[in-house]
Amino acid sequence: MDKNNSNALVVGAGISGIRTALDLAQQDFHVTLIDKSPAIGGILSQLDYQFPSNHCGMCKMLPLINRDASSQFCLRKGLFHENIHLLLSCELSGLAGEAGNFTARLRQKPTWVDPDLCVGCGLCEKVCPQDIPDCFNEGLSSRKAIYLPVPHAIPNAYVIDLAACNRCGACEEVCPTNAIQLSQSNRKAFNILVVDDELSIRDSLKEWLEEEDFSVDMAVSGADALTKLSQKPYQLMLTDIKMPQMGGVELLKKAKKDHPNLSVVMMTAYATVETAVEAMKIGALDYLIKPFDPDTLVPMVIRIFQDIEATKDREITIDTIIFSTGTSFYDPADEKNIFGYGIYPNVLTSIEFERMISHTGPSQGALCRLDHNPNDQNDPPVKKIAWIQCVGSRNIQQNADFCSSICCMIAIKEAVLTREISKGKIDTTIFYMDMRTFGKSFQRYYDTALSEHGVRFERCKIDSISLDKKTNDLIIRYISKNGELKKELFDMAVLSTGQRPSYKTAQLAKICDLSTNPWGFIQTLPFSLTLTAKEGIIAGGSVTGLKDISQSLIQASAAAQNAGCIIHSKGSKKLEAPIENKGVYRDVSREPVDLLMVICTCKERVTRFIDPKILTEKFIQDPCISNVIFLDNICTDNGWQELEQIVMDCRPNRLLIGACHPYLYIRRIRELAKKCTLDPVFIDVVDIMTGVFQENPDSQNELNSTGFHITGILNAGAAALKQAQYQTSHKIPVHPSALIIGGGIAGMTAALGIADQGYEVALVEKTDHLGGNLNWLKQTIDGLSCENLLEETIARVTKQPLIRIFLNSQIISCTGYTGQFKTIIEDGEKQPVTIEHGAVILATGGNEARTQSFNYGTQNSVVTQKDLEIRLADKSIDPKKLDSIAMIQCVDSRQEPRNYCSRVCCPTALKQARFIKEQNPEADIYFLYRDMMTCGFTETFFTQARKDNIIFISYEPDNLPQVEEIEGKIIINAVEPVLGRPIEINADLVVLATGITPEFPDTLASILGIMPDMDRFFQEADPKWRPLDAIKEGIYACGIVHSPGSIPESIATAQAAAQRALNIISRPVLASAQIVALVRHSLCSLCQRCIDTCPYGARMLNTDETKVLVNEAMCQGCGACAVICPNNASVLQGYSGQQMLGVIDAVFEDLLN
Amino acid sequence: MANTSFLNVDNDNVLLSIQKFLKSILDLNDIEAILAPLHKKDGKNIMPVFIADPTLLNDVDPLAPAFAMNAAKLVSKLTHKPMGKKIAVVLRSCEIRALIELVKLKQAYLEDIVIIGFDCLGTYTNKNLAFLMASDTTDLTQRFCENALAGKEPPIEGGPNLSPACRACEYPVPENADILIGLLGLDIKKQVLLQALTEKGNALFENLSYTESEEPPGRKKVISEVISKKIEFRDKMFETTHKATNTLEKLSDYFASCINCYNCRVACPVCYCRECVFNTDVFDHDPYQYMQWAKRKGAVKLPADTNFYHITRLAHISLNCVGCGQCSNACPNDIPVMELFKYVANNTQAAFEYEAGKDMDQPPPLSVFKEEEYLDVVGIN
Repeated sequence: MDKNNSNALVVGAGISGIRTALDLAQQDFHVTLIDKSPAIGGILSQLDYQFPSNHCGMCKMLPLINRDASSQFCLRKGLFHENIHLLLSCELSGLAGEAGNFTARLRQKPTWVDPDLCVGCGLCEKVCPQDIPDCFNEGLSSRKAIYLPVPHAIPNAYVIDLAACNRCGACEEVCPTNAIQLSQSNRKAFNILVVDDELSIRDSLKEWLEEEDFSVDMAVSGADALTKLSQKPYQLMLTDIKMPQMGGVELLKKAKKDHPNLSVVMMTAYATVETAVEAMKIGALDYLIKPFDPDTLVPMVIRIFQDIEATKDREITIDTIIFSTGTSFYDPADEKNIFGYGIYPNVLTSIEFERMISHTGPSQGALCRLDHNPNDQNDPPVKKIAWIQCVGSRNIQQNADFCSSICCMIAIKEAVLTREISKGKIDTTIFYMDMRTFGKSFQRYYDTALSEHGVRFERCKIDSISLDKKTNDLIIRYISKNGELKKELFDMAVLSTGQRPSYKTAQLAKICDLSTNPWGFIQTLPFSLTLTAKEGIIAGGSVTGLKDISQSLIQASAAAQNAGCIIHSKGSKKLEAPIENKGVYRDVSREPVDLLMVICTCKERVTRFIDPKILTEKFIQDPCISNVIFLDNICTDNGWQELEQIVMDCRPNRLLIGACHPYLYIRRIRELAKKCTLDPVFIDVVDIMTGVFQENPDSQNELNSTGFHITGILNAGAAALKQAQYQTSHKIPVHPSALIIGGGIAGMTAALGIADQGYEVALVEKTDHLGGNLNWLKQTIDGLSCENLLEETIARVTKQPLIRIFLNSQIISCTGYTGQFKTIIEDGEKQPVTIEHGAVILATGGNEARTQSFNYGTQNSVVTQKDLEIRLADKSIDPKKLDSIAMIQCVDSRQEPRNYCSRVCCPTALKQARFIKEQNPEADIYFLYRDMMTCGFTETFFTQARKDNIIFISYEPDNLPQVEEIEGKIIINAVEPVLGRPIEINADLVVLATGITPEFPDTLASILGIMPDMDRFFQEADPKWRPLDAIKEGIYACGIVHSPGSIPESIATAQAAAQRALNIISRPVLASAQIVALVRHSLCSLCQRCIDTCPYGARMLNTDETKVLVNEAMCQGCGACAVICPNNASVLQGYSGQQMLGVIDAVFEDLLN
Repeated sequence: MANTSFLNVDNDNVLLSIQKFLKSILDLNDIEAILAPLHKKDGKNIMPVFIADPTLLNDVDPLAPAFAMNAAKLVSKLTHKPMGKKIAVVLRSCEIRALIELVKLKQAYLEDIVIIGFDCLGTYTNKNLAFLMASDTTDLTQRFCENALAGKEPPIEGGPNLSPACRACEYPVPENADILIGLLGLDIKKQVLLQALTEKGNALFENLSYTESEEPPGRKKVISEVISKKIEFRDKMFETTHKATNTLEKLSDYFASCINCYNCRVACPVCYCRECVFNTDVFDHDPYQYMQWAKRKGAVKLPADTNFYHITRLAHISLNCVGCGQCSNACPNDIPVMELFKYVANNTQAAFEYEAGKDMDQPPPLSVFKEEEYLDVVGIN
């Protein structure tokens, strides 16, 4: 892997960055993925539970196809992919060039602990004297200066927070593997020259800095300084500006000429600050204003020292860059701090609350008040928790005229979890303005929270929170929906803090010359959620505003697709797929087993527990084991080379290595296997170090038990290797093209997304024209023309020679599986056309729901939003002639049987209202609504509407407004909630927002072999983590058949679905992984329990051959089929019965002795 | 349409009337053959036979206390692929229950068969039956039935007891037959009960001319008395078995005389593997391995893997075990296999709230995935 050239640089390794990087890597592009923190996962690493399942599920992002290229374990613990170069503690410090040829400058900060040597034993942590708040737990607990950035990574290496470290060196002394390199001598080697004509200053600086272990020399003048600089290398010069003869600025100029790498800090009295600033323009690093104390000087010097140490700045050449740097949260302690955050003990933010209910959190998941007695978790017990919504969102005073989109669902989830954890004992109340359940399944989750879990929802305005000083209880005052001021006591208040741009966003925008929106988020192009105005610079995930998991991942895949197009259009080469040539390995299948065992002694630590002589004698008795060799530190380069030499000399046909962290050796083993021509299936690393580091063996007993453990593991490893067999790898050829069903904006965008990267597409549309709903939509809420978008897109699609368009056509049959589908299309001439393709994208769209409610269909002046859009355009409705318009939202929606929010209706209604108001400012417009769903930045249109005197009246679903016609006039009766009184509205026009119903016929679903969800939308494999994939691999969905959404949202799903399809069709073959299941047909009784059991749908009964078949590319090697099969007809390669029995026997051999 | 009726018994010979009834079934157009137990010509054996010629039904004897094998496996052979013809099968309760399990495992299919069941009064082990058949066999079935119904133990005076599996059987009345021949609570010198329990049974009944009648009022009580007596026996058996096997050493002793002939597996109706894993190369150990075992334990029983074999079989089939007792019947060394298997099955089936052979619609427990199940066992939460 070339580390200086990448196809793409992904900045930020949260879930979006990971998704983008994995997508591109799966397409065999080379990706550099960086994150400023020492661990991956971003904010999701802090969150344990995601609705609707209330589990994690992050690992579901890992590729199912070609999975051996990637890590296959908990994604919170780490990520590995052969096409991804992951750099942690690394930031982007500069970007130059243009799409196809950017040069990115990366700065990686040292963690001062060598991750290859750190074994995570934690001895260092115990001796560290420093205590500081732990960011991972949002400051709810404390940590040491040397700490684990996350509790779950593997390998979990410690890092040192140098800002908190006092360099006592205690950790360095206790580290058993010499992993800590916080060597004082480093500082000794850091030479500082202090230049000042005043002795007292020189002396005190020297004293302060030497106390910090730096080497300090002094110069009395500029000339003296230049002499000293020529005698010895200095890294840093601190110079006064005002000196006789040669001033500081002149010295700077001269010194920089001969020593360009010298860092210079100017010291100046306030009067010459301007000079200092001038000096910085000619190369000074920084300046200090005199007089200063050590607290100012020392941290600055340490920072410079660190930066210089760290300046292993590297430059990499890339085609495109994707920003997945995420979002920050509003700090409620800012500004007025009306909720007493940080002052009252039991006011938390929602992220803090997430840490509190986490098992790795400060109280190990126990819910307790923060003022509780630490010895008694129930003192005082938590009985009532309040969630306060929209803290730092939907607030014009705080420059937050936006909705942060995810807080409502987070609050519901937290309340539900609280109810579950406390078994219903803790009362939970959510104080909100509008409950924004605008995503798929959100409304039902809300309903369940309300009806099954007993979460209380209080629509209100929060007045204040104050503290009962005696009890520390929180007094929440709020104005209820009927205008009363109420007061209630709570034990705890959770603030649903809103989004703010990450503090890095402004910096990145500056580095890359990107524009931001009024609130500081990266601005994207019209109709795109990912493309910025600068070609090749792409925004992924929540850098453009908070997103929930599925939206983040959709946007991340869309970003990957945009990046792929850039890479493709710039003619960059993909990585060459590694050539797996079995021929490089010698055939050892007929040889008697000759096993070489190499055991790492880890600097005598292992030999405390076992006697090498006795162990060797024991193993050598086994006729299969020819050699047992002890080596020191196999993990180091030297150790590994020694091992290689021994292997080359002995030429064993089995190699067992007893060491630590087996997965760290994956790459090394692959290389070694080629060198010694032994298939890697005959080489294994077993972890013998568990227990070796952690224990402080006092008793003989403990020594013995760890010794037994080591012997047992080696024995088991040997047993498994003895029975190892060659594994056959299967390769399924791929048809490099895709079928897209539906020619609306989503289908067309997906088609372009694939064809623009050079693959063929069949685009099937059932009507005689492309465009779908864009044929009647005229403009968007922000005034963009849908007609232009449609025209341009159709032009691109028809001009793209790789897209074959089938109009008036439909799918007759679709057989096969991922990579190899065969479909019969009935074309416009009613002729069958057979095509072969590797993937399917469903983009059949949806329609405005039909309704009979509110007299629709019987009264001409009751129309739907679609009717209104069309009739405003054809001018059959003239806004100028309307005096009064009523918009009724949520018609037949958000209640069974259509219990979902269609997401687009509130913004659409606002759009029409805005248009009407523009034409006729005198018109009265009334909104009868349940919750205004103006998520994200569309909130600003809601705010504007209220400013424009549009009246908003909320109604409850059990008390619908009544519409009747009296003498040609429409009268609407409703209840005004604030007044609590019935009101009457006279309207010329009633506009119904009926929502969206998907277009996904049963016949099509059964042809594709997939099931729609309960609302007849596309059913995702996982609503959060695989949002566009069908359970049947190779089928994806986009647009509004997937879920209701705006045009840009539909386009994003289309690009993301295109990316998911590209992951399949851009590979010439789908190779099975090493570990897959097989069927031994002669043993199979065809009971088909394996088919029922397979969670990946990788098995089927071939009725022609009466055989159970396995799709090797789809099989994930989980082994469920092998477990359910009673007679080993279903087996897992690499886990044969003999092997497993041998392993079990070996483990027990010593234990039973 | 009658779904409860009576079959009159002439000359005090219940068997004759049942043979006549079976002939009437075979005479029907759509039933082309019957599987039923038949007296072999030598008079020493009664074996399941697939009969197409109605005259041969004169030797059919389902009520004889003979149970050479569990015929569920034979039904599997007759139905695993469509035959194109409809047949009737005469089965004991435990055979029907085993058949239900095989159907769930897709080893047998019910589409083309009519199941004729009857109140099972129990059977002897093959050895005891041979002993009995060696003496006077005149009217053996009639005598056996009358005595058994009268509650005599042993049912043939001076003869052996019924097999332990039958004495511990909780299901003397089959539940999943299409047509049931009832004996319990009836005077079999006069009549036996005939019931259609399913749609299929009803359809068949429509072609036969029986008058609708009602179940004798005392029958339910008799059945429940019989069952509670058997459960009493069963629970004592469980207790004894538990005591004899509750440590690994005791279990080894229990199977000490096992020669790994695997007869119990062949006899087992729900052991459906085409080739048992114990016959495959998985158990071809390296010779050196035997040395290591011998060294470790001082000695190793040969053939090895005996406990492992039985435990594996328990793991595989205890959820499907119907307690028919053919395993014990097949053991050349008289190991009480059934006693242990039924005991373990009783516990595992209770754990999954499953009853083998009870209900076609109850899915086999291991093919059902429940996310939140046995949280205490799996260590989650």
